[in-house]
Amino acid sequence: MKLSEFSAQTPYSHDEEVRIGVYVCHCGLNIAGSVDCEEVAKFASTLPHVVVSKDNRYTCSDQGQELIKNDIREHKLNRVVVASCSPRLHEPTFRKACEEAGLNKYLFEMANIREQCSWVHLYEREKATEKAKDLVKMAVAKAALLTPEEESEVPIIKKALVIGGGVAGIQAALDLGDTGYQVYLVEKDPSVGGRMAQIDKTFPTMDCSICILAPKMSDVGRHPNIELLTNSEVLEVKGYIGNFRVKVLRKPRYVTEECTSCGDCAKACPVTAPNEFDVGLATRRAIYTPFAQAVPSTYIIDRNLCLNKENIILCDKCIKACERRAINFDMKPETVELEVGTVIVATGADVYDPTSLTNYGYGKFPNVITSLEFERLINAGGPSGGHLIRPSDLQVPESVAFVQCVGSRSDKGHLYCSNVCCMNTIKDSLLIKEHWPATKIYVFYVDVRAYGKGFEDLYKRAKKEGIIFIRGLPAEIIEDRKTRNLWLFGENTLQKELYKVNFGMVILSVGIEPRRDSEAIQRLLTLSRNPDGFFMEAHPKLRPVDTPTGGVFLAGCAESPKDIKDSVTQASATAARASILMAKGRVTAEAITPRLILENCTACGLCARVCPYNAISVNKEMKRAEVIEAACAGCGTCGAECPFGALTMRHFTDEQVYAQVDAATEQDADKKIIAFCCNWCAYAGADFAGVSRMQYPTNVRIIRTMCSGRVAPKFVERAFARGVAAVLVAGCHLGDCHYINANYQTQRRVEKLWKKMERLGLSKDRLQLLWATAAEGEKFASKIKEMQVIVNSVSEEEIEKTRGLLGKG
Amino acid sequence: MPLRIWRKPLDADKVKLPRAEIHIIKDRCKGCGFCIELCPRDVLEFSEELNERGAHPPKVTDESRCALCSFCQAVCPDFAIFTVEKDCAGGC
Repeated sequence: MKLSEFSAQTPYSHDEEVRIGVYVCHCGLNIAGSVDCEEVAKFASTLPHVVVSKDNRYTCSDQGQELIKNDIREHKLNRVVVASCSPRLHEPTFRKACEEAGLNKYLFEMANIREQCSWVHLYEREKATEKAKDLVKMAVAKAALLTPEEESEVPIIKKALVIGGGVAGIQAALDLGDTGYQVYLVEKDPSVGGRMAQIDKTFPTMDCSICILAPKMSDVGRHPNIELLTNSEVLEVKGYIGNFRVKVLRKPRYVTEECTSCGDCAKACPVTAPNEFDVGLATRRAIYTPFAQAVPSTYIIDRNLCLNKENIILCDKCIKACERRAINFDMKPETVELEVGTVIVATGADVYDPTSLTNYGYGKFPNVITSLEFERLINAGGPSGGHLIRPSDLQVPESVAFVQCVGSRSDKGHLYCSNVCCMNTIKDSLLIKEHWPATKIYVFYVDVRAYGKGFEDLYKRAKKEGIIFIRGLPAEIIEDRKTRNLWLFGENTLQKELYKVNFGMVILSVGIEPRRDSEAIQRLLTLSRNPDGFFMEAHPKLRPVDTPTGGVFLAGCAESPKDIKDSVTQASATAARASILMAKGRVTAEAITPRLILENCTACGLCARVCPYNAISVNKEMKRAEVIEAACAGCGTCGAECPFGALTMRHFTDEQVYAQVDAATEQDADKKIIAFCCNWCAYAGADFAGVSRMQYPTNVRIIRTMCSGRVAPKFVERAFARGVAAVLVAGCHLGDCHYINANYQTQRRVEKLWKKMERLGLSKDRLQLLWATAAEGEKFASKIKEMQVIVNSVSEEEIEKTRGLLGKG
Repeated sequence: MPLRIWRKPLDADKVKLPRAEIHIIKDRCKGCGFCIELCPRDVLEFSEELNERGAHPPKVTDESRCALCSFCQAVCPDFAIFTVEKDCAGGC
């Protein structure tokens, strides 16, 4: 990858004269209603470098854009400032207009005088106008220092990696394969199929699960564009969007593709063990196939179980039994290296182990089973041939109880709802009724969540069939030692009475939990996980299958608990998202990545340590940091961390931020608040306060950075040195950062500043830290109100003292 | 697999593995210990007794653990040990 280097030239040295055009938008009465736009435009014309300053009704209209374009040509403008709505809304519009007139789009700047001025100061026309002037002055000051930037293009390898061969992984691989892209499907287990292969029937249509899955499994096995790597694990992922280099460990099966899966070897094998596929309810041999429909159907030898040790064949029973001579104990693990452009994570989920809930007696009472064990018992291909037998005496029970929310919606297991258990239980209860209509079936629940298409009908059917639903989970399950029946004790919360009921068998409807190896995948692909442990999507509503890492997508239960239909839907969505990238063949990166100033770099490695994307590495030989531009997302945390000024954050340079601070503090600084807001949460939250017309004091001046991690302590110190009363640093909630974890750096830096202020005898209240989401406009507004009290209480002497103490640094 | 595998498989009693009969011709043994060393199930150990050759022949600890791999038979330099499958037609 080519390095982003920059020689010593100062980023703001311009050969040509800076000529700025300012356009103040009325937005009908949205802005003009509370801001005197004409006066703002008149004021703007007095600012340095401004050659044209106009106000008009709708700058975003075609006429408004034409005006800008004409002025660029006519007045030879080389910077444009539009004072109107939020850049989150119309920055792309105006950037495009500039480009059409031949001006680099990075030479455009916006002043947000609607969401963050007129709408939040509806009844203070004079003060709002003053604020609008300040905001325009700040934008003009920044604009003067803007430089044209070229966006870099990265080619995309037209191959995809799908991690996980459950139904989501299979669907994603098939969709991508059918589109014409080469796909590598990596599965840890000996066969694809995942959890869906273990389940007997699907809800709400009662389809046979394996019957609808098996054709897809064999499709994926013989698809010309799909290479199946089963019994394999992803070891390493290097690179970035479009160019991932992946190492996969392919563990040996010890059986070659000559295998016809006749099963003669397994018959001869003298060693048995519980079959994991049947949740240990049936036995398998050391040479086995997990289930009849497995893909690939080739048998596999479990070397932990097999009598043969490394380099010595003690038992040759399978070798002798195999007519095709398909058994080869000399197979070795191999590392396969792949190059792919996109990655789909479909690693699935684990099932909650209820052993720790001792009041239910799972693991102690044989007739307490889990819903997954039930699936194997009711399955015709399972250990009991589809007969619902209880483990203690292998007899069909006369009464069955289902206990819901085992490991879900409780502080004893997981706090979240596992999404599928209610419908799974309803389906299971109907299956029992179908085969053994006389069975007494009770379902103990907290709430029945039958929210999907056809779900309520199935629930109604279950009730009609005589299944009894009791609201209130049992507090305890006790076994009758003689009959091995189970007593359930609890409270029916609808009738406010205690129950004590006897059942032949109890099925614990266990929840879904994140896979235990999620952390490994998280580290490999620099993903983030929510507090529940599932992988986080880039945006919960609008980018639900993207991850914060470019080119990596999420499907199935790896993202959150979901049923088969949702997993398949999501899988197809990831295939579409990955196809978009691969069809384009290249991706452009916004030119907000850092440039390294070689002379200043000491290769100390601080920047590399704080980079959430591992996009910076330290080249020890060359004694410098290296930025991998395609992996960089532009948060700017590195720039804030560098003590030597060796990293220039393009479009958010130190000088530009200083210019904004200075412009904002030229007048009445001692009455003002400077707020540094991250683009994704806090700035969006401030916009939301405007959209909701939440009123707050006019003395705040917001400076937008991509991430709160960009806010270097020196920015805050500059503001105090310029004599502001208070400073606010605002970003996304911890764990919710748009740049994985960059806001932890924000927290650390602000805490350090607080300590410094305390040490210098300054009131640390004057520096505030706020975590606010894009929806928390109210929180932002009340923070400003709260800070107004601080502003009022700060004395002139204190401000002077701060100027003296922090101004030096 | 996340769920703990703890139950005895339901078909555990039905799975019929061939049962072994281990025959040791004690006086042929010279006590090299190959069979003991290499048995994958550790079914054999040295006995206390001395045979005609002044060696300690192996003895069987638990015949039911024998997987009938017959490696002892293959590896014995003196043809002193062999295994046969038990006739379990009438029950073992």
